[in-house]
Amino acid sequence: MSELILEARGVTKVFRQGKLEVPALRGVDLEVREGEFLALVGPSGSGKTTFLNLAGALDAPTGGELVVLGRRIGDLSRRQRAELRLRSLGFVFQAYNLVPVLTARENVEFVLELQGVAPAARAERAGEVLAELGLADLADRRPSELSGGQQQRVAVARAVAARPRLVLADEPTANLDGENAEILMHLMREMRERHGMTFLFSTHDPRVVEHAVRVVTLVDGRVAHDDPVAPEPPHEILPRIGKARAGTGV
Amino acid sequence: MAWVASRYALRSVGRNLRRTALSIVGIGVGCALALFMESMNRGREELFARAGAYSGAGHLRVVPEGWRLRRDPRLRLADWRADLAAARALPGAAAVTARARAQVLLAMGNHVVPLEMVGVDPENEPRTYRFVRTVAEGRYLAPEDAGAAVVGKAVAERLEAGLGDEILATTVGKGGDIESGLFRIVGIVATGSDDIDASICQVTLVDVERLTGLTGAGEVTVVLRDYRGADAARAGLAARVPRGDDVLTWGELSPEFKGHLEQDSATNRFVRGVILLIVLLGVASAQLAAVLERRREFAVLAALGMSGARMVRLVLQEAVALALAGAAAGLALGVPLLWLFARKGLDFRRFMGSSYAFQGILIEPVIYGDLGAWVVPWALGIALVATVVASLYPAWFAARTDPAVALRVAQ
Repeated sequence: MSELILEARGVTKVFRQGKLEVPALRGVDLEVREGEFLALVGPSGSGKTTFLNLAGALDAPTGGELVVLGRRIGDLSRRQRAELRLRSLGFVFQAYNLVPVLTARENVEFVLELQGVAPAARAERAGEVLAELGLADLADRRPSELSGGQQQRVAVARAVAARPRLVLADEPTANLDGENAEILMHLMREMRERHGMTFLFSTHDPRVVEHAVRVVTLVDGRVAHDDPVAPEPPHEILPRIGKARAGTGV
Repeated sequence: MAWVASRYALRSVGRNLRRTALSIVGIGVGCALALFMESMNRGREELFARAGAYSGAGHLRVVPEGWRLRRDPRLRLADWRADLAAARALPGAAAVTARARAQVLLAMGNHVVPLEMVGVDPENEPRTYRFVRTVAEGRYLAPEDAGAAVVGKAVAERLEAGLGDEILATTVGKGGDIESGLFRIVGIVATGSDDIDASICQVTLVDVERLTGLTGAGEVTVVLRDYRGADAARAGLAARVPRGDDVLTWGELSPEFKGHLEQDSATNRFVRGVILLIVLLGVASAQLAAVLERRREFAVLAALGMSGARMVRLVLQEAVALALAGAAAGLALGVPLLWLFARKGLDFRRFMGSSYAFQGILIEPVIYGDLGAWVVPWALGIALVATVVASLYPAWFAARTDPAVALRVAQ
């Protein structure tokens, strides 16, 4: 059996709004193993983003035990959580969130620079990963010169460039049309298979869910269903993206 | 290849061009004003130091040991000729002269004036004492002018004496006896200041020796080419003068004058501080606005694992870029202004007449600003310190960004 990447036992998260306490997670139990491609689904307010934030060491749980890559998130300091994010986690956000004044290549290189990768090595790695995602010709464009789909592919490149063990994606296709959403999911799966990364993403989109290997449904801050999907759907799209469609706005 | 973080910082400065331009202008104006204040302060200090030096005090003075506390004009140097030779050999010395002083009563008829008679070397004295360079009536002393005196206009008026008149000088001699000598007025000096004109009575050094019975000189005065070298020159000279003699700087000779200068400098520093504080607050406000606008971006950077220290460094890099541009703007605005005031000067004649005297020193009413290579490091220093200090709080604010909260708010 593959290694346990994430283990949640009775994880709770309560937000305080003045005197009011709003429970976002009410005791989540979940295990995620290495190489999984897991979709977190559920209605708005079910706690998907909150759980991803905890899994991504962006926040600490109020109760329960959450272990990510062998580290108890609740016990880590701000600096230790930042270090864990930098070294072992990758993020893809709904709104792309690329640095607008940097080119696609620089956005990818920036994370590698933060990790202390030498200039020559990071340039090479950024070039490789952008090419893998079909962005070689767009590497020197700034986000404002890219379409939404291209920006999100750059965001994926940024997330995977440092070869993190766990990539967290919060509604990665929410701002994309159907075709781009499809392409993005194929690319993410390609990355997972090629580099052995684990993907944990939240979504509302049933077409995206189709790509998941496992679907976990959250309702009212608890795991309502945990369904493995088999067999995995095919995804022969990378060569087409990389060679034929780069720079076309897809 | 530059680091991505540096490129990021540099390009971020250009995101909101209007705000950046306003910040640069603000830093530039503050920088130019501070440069102007410093330029005029340097010019005023130089003017005062020159005025003080050429009013007889010099920049350095060799005096007998103990003179500093007693200020007794009857004290004489241990070996004034050796002192004179050492002073003349001093690098940076522009003029050197020896003097001997005596407290005397000058009398003509039934008029009496008490003052300090100064025995001088007529060849070198005008080079260190500017008031005797232009004699209103008659002439200045000649080297072998035995029994000749040059007096101030106010002295002559109080004695009701004129050119060619003989005046009687009476003093306490070496052994405590009363000694007298007759002097003929060969020149009358009019400086424009009654106070100074009432204090001038110069004769040759030999005549003071003869009158007092005290041989030698009581001081060797040195005027330097650059007053700023006084402390270093003092150390050099002190090592060369014979035992029993001491070397003082102009500040030690005229502590009240030095105190007045320091008070003025402190006021200037305060005004400069206020200017910098205003610049600092402006920059802090602009930088904080820039950080707040990019809160989501900082949250993303934090999510990607950027540490608080790196975020502080990033904001400070932006501040440095802003400061360099501000310093350039400060120089562009300030240098023409400084050049104008270095050339034309700041004229106070309307407020204080053609000159005014302070502590026996005649001050010119036009202050010329100083313009030199110092303006570049000053502009850089002012802009960098003000901008970096102003950016510390915004940088800390950015570093404290909680990615989960900021991203939740942004969504």
